[in-house]
Amino acid sequence: MSVRRAASRVVGTLVSLGMVAVLGFFLFRVLPGDPVLTLTRGRPVTPGEVARLRHEFGLDRPLVTQFVDYAASLLRGDLGRSYFYDQPVARLIAERVGPTLLLTGAALVLSVSLGVWLGQWAGWRRGSAFDRAATAAAVVGWSVPAFWLGLLLLMAFGGPLPTGGMVTPGSDASGAALAWDVARHLVLPALTLAAVQFAQYTLTMRASVLGELGEGYLTTARAKGLPEDGVRARHVLPNALLPTVTLVFLMLGQVIGGAIAVESVFSWPGLGYLAYQALSAPDLPLLQGTFLVFSATAVVSNALADVVYRLIDPRLRGT
Amino acid sequence: MAELRWRDVSVEYRAGRPGTARARRGEPEASGVLAVDGVSLRVPAGATVGLAGESGCGKTTLALSALRLLPRSARVRGEILLDGENVRDLSFGRLRAVRWTSASVVFQGAASSLNPVRSVGWQIAEALRLHPGADWIGRRGRRARVEKLLGSVGLSPARAGAFPHELSGGQRQRVLIAMALACDPQIVIADEPTSALDADVAARIQDTLGALVRERGLSLLLISHDLPMLARACERLVVMQAGRIVEEGPSADVLEHARHPYTRRLAAASLAVGDRSVRRPRSRPPTGTGGRLEASGVTVDLAGRGVRTRAVAEASLAIERGEIVALVGPSGAGKTTLARAMLGLQGVTSGKVLFDGRPLPRGAALRAFRRRVQFVPQSPDAALSPRQTVWDAVAEGLRIHRVPGDERTLVEDALRAAELEPTERLLGALPSELSGGQRQRVVIAGALALNPELLVADEPVSSLDATVRAEIVALLAHLRDARGLGALVITHDRGLAWALADRIAVMRGGRIVGVGGVEDVLLGG
Repeated sequence: MSVRRAASRVVGTLVSLGMVAVLGFFLFRVLPGDPVLTLTRGRPVTPGEVARLRHEFGLDRPLVTQFVDYAASLLRGDLGRSYFYDQPVARLIAERVGPTLLLTGAALVLSVSLGVWLGQWAGWRRGSAFDRAATAAAVVGWSVPAFWLGLLLLMAFGGPLPTGGMVTPGSDASGAALAWDVARHLVLPALTLAAVQFAQYTLTMRASVLGELGEGYLTTARAKGLPEDGVRARHVLPNALLPTVTLVFLMLGQVIGGAIAVESVFSWPGLGYLAYQALSAPDLPLLQGTFLVFSATAVVSNALADVVYRLIDPRLRGT
Repeated sequence: MAELRWRDVSVEYRAGRPGTARARRGEPEASGVLAVDGVSLRVPAGATVGLAGESGCGKTTLALSALRLLPRSARVRGEILLDGENVRDLSFGRLRAVRWTSASVVFQGAASSLNPVRSVGWQIAEALRLHPGADWIGRRGRRARVEKLLGSVGLSPARAGAFPHELSGGQRQRVLIAMALACDPQIVIADEPTSALDADVAARIQDTLGALVRERGLSLLLISHDLPMLARACERLVVMQAGRIVEEGPSADVLEHARHPYTRRLAAASLAVGDRSVRRPRSRPPTGTGGRLEASGVTVDLAGRGVRTRAVAEASLAIERGEIVALVGPSGAGKTTLARAMLGLQGVTSGKVLFDGRPLPRGAALRAFRRRVQFVPQSPDAALSPRQTVWDAVAEGLRIHRVPGDERTLVEDALRAAELEPTERLLGALPSELSGGQRQRVVIAGALALNPELLVADEPVSSLDATVRAEIVALLAHLRDARGLGALVITHDRGLAWALADRIAVMRGGRIVGVGGVEDVLLGG
């Protein structure tokens, strides 16, 4: 990639992020609900105290002034302070990035390996019983709401496996015991997430394989004496994987935000759960912060997908 | 030495299944078509046999049947004997061992015959890996052999690391020849190895292939639609039409004393430079005025990947009213760029394009110019939308330019002018229901509907079969004589220029290196 191209890519990414920040700010101001009233609900407060709290949050000032303040602190790297937790938003987010990456990473590995494997064979043996079963499973997984599937799994396996959180409350395990505890907590949410996500890899992979089947180079490979497995593994796959790899990188961005439903069902202490909690207040600084993180991952992974696609496809190298 | 023999072979394609290549391209699947019908053909050891016929005659099906490479929908009957063994009875393991070692195929060098994400060296070495031989042991032995093979087809050994898209069409064809020779087969089947290439490149590749076949004493089955080329390259000729062999014999006999009318048509359809019987010069001076298009000192720089390339350098060319000018030259010479500049589709870096003495207008007035100068692109498949009926395709220009009058009448007139009848049946047809020649006529009808003064046609017949090509040439010549319709015809085919043009301009490396009468340019130099 030329320097000019890289520079224009970086500028484009920054512009997108700037627009996301603006959008996020005004979007959440339109939400119904008053953060101050939510915070003080069920407590005896005087109108004076409510007004003081509103002043403290800066909510009594004009929207434009609020935005200018927000933008100025954002440029300094300050995401603000959560109304609800009374802690810096940046710290809250930093604490929860790890668990989210653990969950979405595990789900990604599961869904990509399952999806690519299923899709590859479904395309290669198009029209077979395997193809029909794999496609049906993918469509079902794609259509099922994540929270609903999560609840079903909770009901089915909630006893033998832990039902929420990332570690057993009150446990002071460390080392291998801690890892085992986390792994057991990870099973259900990761399975749920993978089940609703593998479909797109299956369907993309299947379509890509089908797209290659009519190509002349497969006849060339067969004519050379390659067995069918060799034709599939050495010629079809490297071509068919290209769109799928790009899709994986595109999905990286959505995967982090897409875990909101699953994290909420399983009380997984990640970013999605945090965003969900912030939404119910609404805890405006926290909402803006998480929204910014979700969007930034999406924007960055889009840029990454573009770069990776150029690296893995020889036809695009050097463009 | 091995011989290849088909004994009473028939191949039938069953009704289409979804997912085959044809179905995905949106073409209707032929149901139960007999592609090869009772063919017996012998390629004796060390012999060269040319198999001629047009697209759809079953020649490629016959070629692929030799190594049992037909799709599963094909049902084969008869005996296919490769070195005495019936290919149809071989176990899959034995078949794989025979493939590429007894017989190999030189596929058409179109990009799709090579895997786009593997280097060409890798793809040649794959054949060596599959069939270990004493001359290529281990990785190093294979690499040395690949380099030697590339050298034998006139490519630099360094090209082994190149990917197919980094090579020209001619280079890809050379790679496919090298690949076919990798495992020292006794029989080589070459399926249209040069029909997608420029005449010059094609001739050089035929020489390379011919020399290698002679040197190694191989049997060659060369498949093409170009009868004279086959006659030059092969000892015997076999002519196929609609799945049957209609004529065969020694090459000179078949070419000069063709008995079957189809062979005569095929032979006549090839437009040989110097053959005065195929030439159709202007019969009378043009009537009326207007329609003179001129490029004056046009230079076009194209920017791409941060590099500016000079595609056209100070080219001057004029097309007079009612005159057909052929712009010839190898691919990459800048022919299409110059034509695009003359159509106002491409900005010029310097120089002028004049229509009837005035510079090309800008903005709204350019639309009026476009109506008077119509463009006929190379491939009708790309030019026609697969979902548009013939009526819609032809009427599109009429609608854009809001031509007054009854649309149906205008469309039918245009179809008749392009010699497409009966118009009632064709109006509702989709491109997939038409033959290649009919499709190109529909494109021409779309241009004629606007009653233009000049056509600019970019390789108007290169995607068509030889007999169809001759018909389109006749149509363009007729339009010139009957309507005074001039044309700029871009082609790399000197035979086409010879048959059709009144004047010829030769382009090379972005410059016009010669302009003159057809006979002077093509026969004089």
